[in-house]
Amino acid sequence: MANGSGAARLSRYPLLELLHPREQTRAVVLLLALGLTGWGALVWAARMPVWGATSILVGLLLVPGVRKWRADLRREGLTVMVLSVILTMQGFHSLEHLAQWIQYHIFHWQPQRSSGLISAANAEWVHFVWNWGVVFVVALLMFRGIRSPWAWALLAWTLAHSAEHTYMMVRYLQVKQELGLLGEPSVSAQGLPGILGRDGWLATSMLTGDSWCGRLPGLTTTMRLDVHFWWNTGETLLLAAAGHAYLRRRAATFSQRQDWM
Amino acid sequence: MFESNGAGLGIDDLDGDGDQDIVLANLAEPNSILWNEGGLRFRKQSLSHGDSRGVNIVDVDGDGRQDIVFTRHVLPPSLWRNLEDGRFSEDVLPGVEGKLYSSNWADLDGDGDLDLAGAAYDTALEEDLGYNFMFTRSGGGAYAYENLGGGQFGYDRLSDRADALALLLHDLDSDGRPEVLIGNDFDLPDQTWRREGERWVQAQPFSKTSHSTMSLDAGDVDNDGVMEIFSTDMKPYNHDVRTVAQWRPLMTRTPHETFRGDPQIMENVLQVRDRSGRYRNEAYERRADATGWSWSGKFGDLDQDGHLDLYVVNGMLAADLFDYLPGKELVEQNQALRNDGKGGFRRVSEWGLGSHASGRGMSMADLDSDGDLDIVVNNLHKPAELFENRLCGGSSLQVALRWPGSENTHAIGARLALHTSDGSFYRDVRVASGYLSGDPSRIHFGFPQGATLERLEIVWPDGKSSRVENLRAQTLVTVTR
Repeated sequence: MANGSGAARLSRYPLLELLHPREQTRAVVLLLALGLTGWGALVWAARMPVWGATSILVGLLLVPGVRKWRADLRREGLTVMVLSVILTMQGFHSLEHLAQWIQYHIFHWQPQRSSGLISAANAEWVHFVWNWGVVFVVALLMFRGIRSPWAWALLAWTLAHSAEHTYMMVRYLQVKQELGLLGEPSVSAQGLPGILGRDGWLATSMLTGDSWCGRLPGLTTTMRLDVHFWWNTGETLLLAAAGHAYLRRRAATFSQRQDWM
Repeated sequence: MFESNGAGLGIDDLDGDGDQDIVLANLAEPNSILWNEGGLRFRKQSLSHGDSRGVNIVDVDGDGRQDIVFTRHVLPPSLWRNLEDGRFSEDVLPGVEGKLYSSNWADLDGDGDLDLAGAAYDTALEEDLGYNFMFTRSGGGAYAYENLGGGQFGYDRLSDRADALALLLHDLDSDGRPEVLIGNDFDLPDQTWRREGERWVQAQPFSKTSHSTMSLDAGDVDNDGVMEIFSTDMKPYNHDVRTVAQWRPLMTRTPHETFRGDPQIMENVLQVRDRSGRYRNEAYERRADATGWSWSGKFGDLDQDGHLDLYVVNGMLAADLFDYLPGKELVEQNQALRNDGKGGFRRVSEWGLGSHASGRGMSMADLDSDGDLDIVVNNLHKPAELFENRLCGGSSLQVALRWPGSENTHAIGARLALHTSDGSFYRDVRVASGYLSGDPSRIHFGFPQGATLERLEIVWPDGKSSRVENLRAQTLVTVTR
C-alpha cells in the first residue's frame, strides 16, 4: 500500500493533475470515441432509450477509470483516490444537469422530457440515491482529513440538497400511490417541485406561501430544472474548492517535511 | 336561478328601470332573460332559441336601447333587437357570417359607431361541421366587422385560424384605439391585432401568454392608471398529493409541445405594462397564476377597498380526459383572490364564493341596488348561481354614461377616473370580458368608507373629456353628453 504521499508536490492546479488520466489517456480517448459512436447508433438506429445507451457508455469508461483510480490508490492513498472518484463522478453528474438545461432551454423540450441522459430511467431515484451517496462520501472524506471551511460548506450544501431530494422522493412516492388508487399506476409522478423553486413547498405552503419568502426571486420563482442545475453547480464548485484546498495543504506539508529532512 | 349548461351570460339594464337584468345563454335549451324585479327577485322570460354560447349586451342600432347578441353553436351570431317594454325581435347582423365563438364590440375604426370583433373555435367547428373547402371562407378564423351604417357590416379577416375562447378589445398602446386580443385554446398562440390606417396588422406585445387561454379581462390592479391584462389557464391551485395526482394524468396526456420562441405557459398570466410600454407577466409574483381549470376570470372591487379583486370560476367535465375521476369530473372550488393593496393577490375562502358547480360564464354587477358588486355564474350542467355581496365593506359610486344622438349611445370605450382623498381609480366601459360574458355598461367604483370624492373625469370614445364634481358616495350617477 502506498504511503499517500507519492505524488504530493506543490502545484498551482493540483485538481487537474489528480484528474488527469495519465497512462489511461489513450484508452479513455479511444473508448470515448467508440462509446459516443455506439451511443449515437444505439439511440438513433436501434431506438435504445438514451439512459440505456448512456449507461453503456459510462460502463465502458469505467474500465480505464477503475485502472486510473487503482493507480491513484497506489500513488496517493485511499483519501485522494476517493476524492478523485467523487470529483470524476460529480463531473459526470454535472453533465447530466447540463444536458437537462440544454434540452429545456436550447431544444425547448417540455420539462418532463428534459430529463437528461440517465435520469430518464427515473429522475427521482437517480438523483435521490446519487445525492445521499455524495453526502456519505463527503462525510467520509472529512473523517479522513479533508477538513476546511470549504469542506464544511460542502457538507452543509450536500445535506440541504439531499433534504430537498428526500422531500421530492416522499412526494413522488405519495403521488405514485395516489395515482394507483385512481387506477392510473402507469402515469409518471416524476418532476414534481421540491422545497425550493417555482411552485415548491416554500412558494405554496400555508406557512410560507403568502409571506415574503414565498416569492424570493430565483429561490422560489425558478423552475425545478434550473434550481437543481444551480444546486449541482454549487456542489461541484464546493467539492472542487475543498479538494483543491486539501491537496494544496497536503502538498505543502509534504514539501515542509522534505525541507526538514 | 335557472338551469343552464355552462355557456356565457350578460348583465345590463335592458328595460331602463334602473335594475340590472341578466341574460343567460344556453346551448341545450332556450336562452333566457331574468328580469330584475328588485329585492333579488327575477322573472324568467325564455327566448325562442338556444344553441348559444356568448352574450353581448350592446346598443347595435343606436336607438338608445340595449340589444342582445348571442354567438351560436354552429351558426352566425343572432341579434335580439330591443323593441322597448321587454319585447325583442330576432334578427341577424347583415354581413356577419362567421360562426363566432367569442365576440366583443367597440369603435374599432374611430368613425363613431360600434364595430364587432369575433373569432371562431375552429377545432370544435371542424368536429361539428366536418372540414371542407368552404370552411375557411365562411366559418373559422377571426374577423373585424366594420359597421358600415344602415345595419350593414363589412369584414376584414384577421386570421385564418382561431380557437378563441376569449376576445378582449383594449387599448394596449394608449393610442386611443382598441387592439383586438384573441385568447386561443391549446397550442394555437393568442393573437393581438392592431389597426394601422385602413388595415389590421398583427402585433406581439406579450413575451408570455397563457397556453390554453380561456378568458381575458383588463383592470388596473395597482391604481397607476394603466390597466393590466389577465388571462386564465389550467393550473391547480392546491399542491396537496390528491390534487397533484388528479391533474397528473391530464398533464401527461395533453403535452404542450413548445417551440423556439414559444410564448405560451400553462398558467394564468397577468400582463403588467412598464414605463417603457412593454408588458411583462407578473401573475406568479402576484400570486394570480393558479386558479384551477379556469374559465371566466374577472376583476371587480368586491370588498370596496379601492383595489380590484379577482374572481375566477373553474372545474372541468370531460369523459375522455377524466375517466379516472368519479363522475369523470375535475371538481374544483371557484377562486376569489383579494387584492392586497399593492397589486398582489391572496386567496380568500371566507368570502363564501367557493362554489364547486363547474362555472363557465361569469359577470359582476350590482343586482340588489345596494351599491356593491354581486356575481352571477352560468354553470355547466347545474343551475346558475347568484352570489349576493354581503362583505359590507367600503363604499361605492356607480356611473352610467349616455351619449344620445351618437351611434355609441352607452359610450363603449370611454375611460373613467375617479379621484378621491384615498387615491384615484380607473375603469373603462366595455361590452364583454372573461369567458363569453357580457359586462354591464354601468361602472362600479369601490373605495374605503369615508373617502372624499373629489371629481370624476371621463374621456369619451371620441377623445373629448368631461369632469363631474359634487359626487356623493353610494349613488348612481348618470352622465349624459
